[in-house]
Amino acid sequence: MSEQRQLLSDSAARLFESRDAVTWDDIDEIGIADVLVPEERGGSGADWDDACAVLQAAGHWQVPLPLAEAMIARKLLAEAELEMAPSRLSIAANTVGTLSGSGRACKFSGTLSSVPWGRDVAHVVTTLSFDGRTHVVVLAVADAIVHRRTNIADEPRDDLQFTDASAQAAAAISREAQHLFDYAALARIAQIAGALQSALERSIGYALERKQFGRPIGQFQAVQQQLALFGAEVAAATCASRSAAIAASAGEVSFEIAAAKLRANQAIGIATAIAHQVHGAIGFTREYALRRATQRLWSWRSEYGNDRYWSERLGRTVIEQGADRFWEHLVSG
Amino acid sequence: MHAFKFDPVTLPANAPAFRKEIREFLARELPHVPAERRTNCWAVFDAEFSRKLGARGWIGMVWPKRYGGHERAALERYVLLEELLAAGAPVGAHWIADRQSGPNLLRYGSEEQRQKYLPGMARGEILCCIGMSEPGAGSDLAAVRTRAEKLPDGRWRINGQKIWTSNAQHSQLMIALVRTGTLDEKNRHAGLSQFLLELRTPGIRIQPIVDLVGHPGFNEVFFDDVVVGPECLLGAAGEGWRQVTSELSLERSGPERYLSSFALFVELLRLAGRVDSEALRHAVGRLSAELWTLRQMSLSVAGQLAAGEDPMLAAAIVKDLGNTFEQSLPAIVQSLLGEDIRLEDDSDLARTLALLLQTSPSFSLRGGTREVMRGIVARGLGLR
Repeated sequence: MSEQRQLLSDSAARLFESRDAVTWDDIDEIGIADVLVPEERGGSGADWDDACAVLQAAGHWQVPLPLAEAMIARKLLAEAELEMAPSRLSIAANTVGTLSGSGRACKFSGTLSSVPWGRDVAHVVTTLSFDGRTHVVVLAVADAIVHRRTNIADEPRDDLQFTDASAQAAAAISREAQHLFDYAALARIAQIAGALQSALERSIGYALERKQFGRPIGQFQAVQQQLALFGAEVAAATCASRSAAIAASAGEVSFEIAAAKLRANQAIGIATAIAHQVHGAIGFTREYALRRATQRLWSWRSEYGNDRYWSERLGRTVIEQGADRFWEHLVSG
Repeated sequence: MHAFKFDPVTLPANAPAFRKEIREFLARELPHVPAERRTNCWAVFDAEFSRKLGARGWIGMVWPKRYGGHERAALERYVLLEELLAAGAPVGAHWIADRQSGPNLLRYGSEEQRQKYLPGMARGEILCCIGMSEPGAGSDLAAVRTRAEKLPDGRWRINGQKIWTSNAQHSQLMIALVRTGTLDEKNRHAGLSQFLLELRTPGIRIQPIVDLVGHPGFNEVFFDDVVVGPECLLGAAGEGWRQVTSELSLERSGPERYLSSFALFVELLRLAGRVDSEALRHAVGRLSAELWTLRQMSLSVAGQLAAGEDPMLAAAIVKDLGNTFEQSLPAIVQSLLGEDIRLEDDSDLARTLALLLQTSPSFSLRGGTREVMRGIVARGLGLR
């Protein structure tokens, strides 16, 4: 583990753990929305492995802000040399609409779907094809009609509708800008790994405490075997997340992101089922904190590509490579 | 809580060139291996192929040169293993010697034992088998009852029986876990020792057991008043449990624990290349994701081993998940076949599938059952 990664991850975890509700001011104080921004533009110049360590902590402590989206948005803005907005930013990875005019002062009409905390941020960054090239586009939420929606964990996922709104646009340079959806998925996978870990810790703690038949339920082999499987699934999702993040720091990464999202999604099914089974009825109360992890996990399984989406994409890629090339590709990374 | 450690690994810079060398060797030496023979290939016995690998320096490649090894890096060996397994090379003959018997000798053997056996193992000529399981000692290995009794002249007399011994009929050597002290029910791990036994020793009798597909893969091995010299004790008397535990770590941690059904996945890819089907694409996508993840995890375990750590927990997790993957694949493939493909067809796909449907249930038994692996993981989680 690199020193920087450890430092970032530790300071983020300390902050998230110490606050009931993390605020943008907290985020700004330790600068973690800027980890992917190059140093010469005031950021940490960290790579995806470092960023995902922070996001894993955010997933673990269920930070109620679009930190992942803000990180990506700030990186895109910095690269495009667009005016650096404050950190209250989100992204839209599903955008339908048209850009007109040119340069920094253009107009946008269309809809940005499922924007995390769209109602609460000042600006949203998205990408659009314009003049045959992908462009990074910044829009002010004040110019939008906001259709409020929330995912099942009560996280805002708003649709923003713009009509002839002012926008800034610049040609996309980085892989992240070219493939915004994929990198948003990469960020979400790290959050999934963190939330899975918190659900596991809570479940183990509960199994060691809760007594039935005169002893802690964690002493029963039937429960131990289930928690062991839970642990293995969390390990798989975490390893997949970390491996994809490292690959992203090195170059082209669409295979790894697809594989990691599918694997993390699979872990969600097994892990959340065991977490609730171990907890029994208490896990189904509004008050008990387990739901804060499991409701997020159930939502995040759909976000930035569900199983159908990624298995179609990955399956197609692998089949097109040909049966005799699969192994070669798998180990070439 | 214990956070499971799966740190990423960087392979040596020469890995791509080494892969190329291995693939060229395999293309030359194994121009056509039927798909069903590529499945579970680390249980496929081919003494001639093992000698060729030995001549190439690819058995015991990390061992010291003075014992016939080649002093290559542990991660180079990992590259070799995964290439051999992915290609379905018949590596069963020397697999045990390379994976655990040789390393066990290096760790606990006397200078004389190392000199005597390691060079032959590295040439692929001395083949080994595992002497752990007994009729009354499966998952509960400490229940072994085979006894070695010390004679007044310093020699040992062994009586008892081992079972499920793969390739005993072809092997020269067995490392056997036996009881040398009296059984103490309060400390069952005490009083166990390992012996290095030449299978041609008088009093050893090997009887094959035919498995459910009709293959005489494993054996019963009987010991009737087998008398061996003190030089056959491996390591220290009474240290058998500690030694066998470290041997089990080697047995459970390799890439063979997720690649046994890989040949069937390749056949599935061929089918998906011919037949345009959403169900096939989605299955290929999911299975590719699982394979990629398992390889990353397996690689991480290899990295920990290479760094001199004992990744027992991580290895147990990879074995559990790897076996589940290997075992799920046949049923998934069976569910995806069209009506034009029958299980009894004489095609690579059908023969491979038919074989794996029958043999894959054993994958989560050998080398430690799924339940034992999860018990190890539960302990790591602080539950036991």
